[in-house]
Amino acid sequence: MHFLGMDDEDKSSDNEQSKPDKMFTLKRWNSVAMWSWDCSTDTCAICRVQVMDACLRCQAESKKDATNKDVTCVVCWGECNHSFHHCCISLWVKQSNRCPLCQQEWSIQRLSS
Amino acid sequence: MLKIRGQLHFEEKWPSMEPVVLKLLVQDHIDNNEWQDLFYMVHSVCLWDEKGAHKIRDSLEDLIIKFIKQAQKRVLVAGEEQALLKAYIIEWRKFFTQSSYLPLPFRQLETSLQTKSSSSSSHINNNTSKKSSSSDDTVVRKLMLDSWNQSIFMNVKDRLQDSAMKLIQAERNGEAFDSQLVIGVRESYVNLCSNSEDKLEIYRENFEAAYLQATADFYRLKGNEQLQENGVQSFMKYADAKLREEEARAARYLEPVSATGLSECCVRVLIGDHLPTLIAECRPLIEAGETERLNLMFRLLDRVSGGVDPMLNDLENHIVSAGLSDMVASADVITQDSEKYVERLLDLFRRFSKLVLDAFNDDPRFLTARDKAFKTVVNDTTVFKLELPTNTTARGTKITTPESKCPELLANYCDMLLRRTPLSKRLTSDQIEVRLRDVLLVLKYVCNKDVFMRYHKAHLTRRLILDSSADSEKEEDMVEWLREIGMPADYVNKLARMFQDIKVSEDLNAQFRSQTTRHDAINIKILNAGAWAARSTERVSVSLPLELEDFIPEIEEFYKTKHSGRKLQWYHHMSNGTITFANNVGRFDLDVTTFQMAVLFAWNQRPNDRISYENLRLATELPDPELRRTLWSLVAFPKLKRQLLLFDPIVQVPKDFDENTVFWINQEFSLVKNGKPQKRGKINLIGRLQLSTERSQQEDNQSIVQLRILRTQEAIIKIMKMRKRMTNAALQAELIEILKNMFLPSKKMIKEQLEWLIEQKYLARDDSDINVFTYMA
Repeated sequence: MHFLGMDDEDKSSDNEQSKPDKMFTLKRWNSVAMWSWDCSTDTCAICRVQVMDACLRCQAESKKDATNKDVTCVVCWGECNHSFHHCCISLWVKQSNRCPLCQQEWSIQRLSS
Repeated sequence: MLKIRGQLHFEEKWPSMEPVVLKLLVQDHIDNNEWQDLFYMVHSVCLWDEKGAHKIRDSLEDLIIKFIKQAQKRVLVAGEEQALLKAYIIEWRKFFTQSSYLPLPFRQLETSLQTKSSSSSSHINNNTSKKSSSSDDTVVRKLMLDSWNQSIFMNVKDRLQDSAMKLIQAERNGEAFDSQLVIGVRESYVNLCSNSEDKLEIYRENFEAAYLQATADFYRLKGNEQLQENGVQSFMKYADAKLREEEARAARYLEPVSATGLSECCVRVLIGDHLPTLIAECRPLIEAGETERLNLMFRLLDRVSGGVDPMLNDLENHIVSAGLSDMVASADVITQDSEKYVERLLDLFRRFSKLVLDAFNDDPRFLTARDKAFKTVVNDTTVFKLELPTNTTARGTKITTPESKCPELLANYCDMLLRRTPLSKRLTSDQIEVRLRDVLLVLKYVCNKDVFMRYHKAHLTRRLILDSSADSEKEEDMVEWLREIGMPADYVNKLARMFQDIKVSEDLNAQFRSQTTRHDAINIKILNAGAWAARSTERVSVSLPLELEDFIPEIEEFYKTKHSGRKLQWYHHMSNGTITFANNVGRFDLDVTTFQMAVLFAWNQRPNDRISYENLRLATELPDPELRRTLWSLVAFPKLKRQLLLFDPIVQVPKDFDENTVFWINQEFSLVKNGKPQKRGKINLIGRLQLSTERSQQEDNQSIVQLRILRTQEAIIKIMKMRKRMTNAALQAELIEILKNMFLPSKKMIKEQLEWLIEQKYLARDDSDINVFTYMA
């Protein structure tokens, strides 16, 4: 289908007069998608804020700068697959090196970007 | 040696002192020797004669009294008013001048008399008196003034006062006279007072009292006359002029301390006594918009405490009734056209703001009354309303509380200004800014701001996704202005984030295109679900045309290389595109939604077929309501003379399509311009971009209420966590303070949420006092 699509595209740009094979041809598509963190829970169990939003601490500190918020407040997945705001879990592990949800030893699986 | 000289006794010296003193009193010339000798003689008598000081004082007193008696005779000879005053003043002035000089030679008396009476009162007096010229409170001066007071002033003061008041009355009636006469009398009242604690005692008890009395009597009479003869309006002018006149007169004839007393007196007589008459006049004046007269009235009434209060009520009532009748009268237009509505409102605001400025000098009390009235008008529900279910738990009962539709219309108007529309094209950038500011001004008065937020965000979403903003700079300004007027930070931050997302998407798009050269047709917007989507689980299934479907994995693959830990959800109901349609007439570029695209592409394999509704449903996999809506937009697009799709049998509403309704492409489709079919052209069939799936307005409003409930709970907990213990009244007050930038919580809702929180053991009622809540952590 790609191939066909490209053909149409080429024809219409090369030669305006020629009639395309298809009745309807795609000229442009503005697709819309929403991204969210790929985690099982919507809220961070530590600060009770949606993981999509900045954690409470970050919200309070960088009220003015909406730009940095997104960058600074990332999500962190543990080996147990539970996820929290990175800021929140970093503070948590200083007290207890266990996942707040499943009590397994906490180790970072990956950070979001 | 002293006794030998024997000439220092009082009896010996007095005869030579007496003539000099007399000369001083009558202001005759004395030469230096006489003057100095007097000093010397007083000095020596005080030193050498044990009782000298007393004797001198007594003799001096006799002498002064004798002199005063003569003066009195001279004054009394002049019987008639002006002459009396004139004579008195001449005598007084003379005497008063001498009261500064005569004491000088007798300075010695001070110390002599003082050491004997061992009183230090004169010292204290000297220190406390502000006019500390040394001659002020000397014994001799006091003696002189007291004597004058007792022997002449007491006798003539009533006549003096009467005469002075008659003069003032004459002046009030327009006759000129020598103002010095009254001023002179006043001065004598002021200076005669020997009570050093209260220098103005005599003046106040006599002159001032008489003056105030005379003033009050005069204006009680004249004011009534004016009112009766010339009516309220000219009375107002009269009162205003007279108040000023009297203030000026008081500055001339009275001591500065009397100014307030006098003006209070005038105000009482001229305004206080006629208050009901004046107040009755306010309403007609406000209704007629007579700014000048109102301004006068305001100045008059403002002098009486509480005087403007009825005026405030009148103003508020008038604005409300004028505003509402205006709205009701043009209900047909303004419910349809948000531009007209907002302009009507603004017109109203400007009119009354101008009135408040011109008539009431923007006095804060009147501004408040104006604001209260605006609030009533804006939040009024007679013309149109938004029905909100009061309680989500009682869904079956359908109780609704109507709210003003104003915020929705405001948001629509903003959209017209910010989007590329005929309106925004007509206006300059500055004009648009002014109008947006106006909207914010109106918004200030809206109680249910959360409704505005919701609609504004929806409009912004459409503008950003369809790339239809007239001016992106203005868009971002608007976000900052919303922040400035105190919209909730999390809301404003989300709006800001949306702009940021669009920029991020543009970069992403550029990278995507540069990596794979063949995707010029593709434009991707990958947005933050937290900022954009009201509900995260909203998605409509659709079977995309293969042309589109193929891009999906490619984009997802590409996105994965850019970010980790993110999942994508496609919002096909928001996406859109341009397709080229070729038929028998010509070629047309159509801007369509992805759903429309999915439907139309079904004909690509069989251009001339008639396809049934049921088959289209199978091909597109669109949910029933979406498919109906999409088809309807293709068979009955409002602006088109020739529709893109034809169908049979004909129905009037989309819900009447049944599964056997057949649709086919109109091969004769073309754009019609000036009655002629065109061979080429471009048309936008998107209409109003759909942001959510087909849901009733009811449900949308439901979610507003739901959000309010959450906000209320949140705010209650926030307050109680801080306060721990609080009375119901205080809690409600703080709650409204927190929530007022979003909505005005109803008493009922607050109560329900408190009950709920108590049930959930977040709060408890105090055992001893049912109106006190405590926080349970």
